[in-house]
Amino acid sequence: MRMSLSQAIMAIATACMGEDRQTWSQAMKAEYHAAAAEGQGLSFAAGCLIAAWREMLGSATGRFVLTSYAVALGIMVPMATIEIGCAVLGFPYLYPDQHGLPGALLVGGSHEALLRPTYLGAIPAMAFIQLMAGAGHLRLAWSLLERDWSSALRWSLWTLAGMTTLVIFMGVFFLDSRQALMQGCVVGIELAILLVIMRRHAELHRFALTEHPG
Amino acid sequence: MRLLLAVLSQQRSEWRHGYDLLKDTGLSSGTLYPLLMRMSDNGLVQAEWREPAQPGRPPRHVYRLTANGFALAMELTSGDAALSGKEMLT
Repeated sequence: MRMSLSQAIMAIATACMGEDRQTWSQAMKAEYHAAAAEGQGLSFAAGCLIAAWREMLGSATGRFVLTSYAVALGIMVPMATIEIGCAVLGFPYLYPDQHGLPGALLVGGSHEALLRPTYLGAIPAMAFIQLMAGAGHLRLAWSLLERDWSSALRWSLWTLAGMTTLVIFMGVFFLDSRQALMQGCVVGIELAILLVIMRRHAELHRFALTEHPG
Repeated sequence: MRLLLAVLSQQRSEWRHGYDLLKDTGLSSGTLYPLLMRMSDNGLVQAEWREPAQPGRPPRHVYRLTANGFALAMELTSGDAALSGKEMLT
């Protein structure tokens, strides 16, 4: 148990070391075997993890990787969870006051009897768009961490298009689209963040080429 | 860093493994490796890969001071000696 824990920590530590420190991560990994043979594997691995994190915070590339993970895990994955949850669990957050679809449909209002069949027909399409936007968010987060910029940009634009469609769709049906609009704004902000991250990555790449040409 | 310089300068020409340095200095791996990286970046320490003594183990990194590193270690040691001499006089 202790051995596998220390090996797992060591694997995280070596993965956290930047590309420019690969030699050092291999050196730490090799030394880990000597430490483990003397029963010091866990403390050694924990120290290596701290060293890797310190290196990450100290280097521009490391900070870039941390920022990418923070955006993916702190914004994109929660947004995907909300959107997929809205679609699968019956839109509990999509509509104002968290009263779900009846709240948005103004159940009991004078227009309810006239519009209800149309609304019910539109729900599957809205749920589908919402589900696709959530799935798009997950794919966007993955592409961001993979640094596949063309894919990330494509998925970000698709997600934005999906949310825009949803807002327009809800507007056409006279549904209160404030929550959907808010989600659309977050998607727009994500796109702006993605563009900044892409620019930063290009700068870092240029800097690396200047430092180590060829 | 002083401690690491002092330990490395004791056997200047000898190559040392990271884990041996860890035991000799009493530093944790979380302190030792960032120090070795910085010192290597600044040309104070040189590192090399060595084949393992036991078969089946990965090659290990070994370290020793460069001429600049040894000069800095001597400078710091003489500085410390001068300081302790002054302290003794006062």
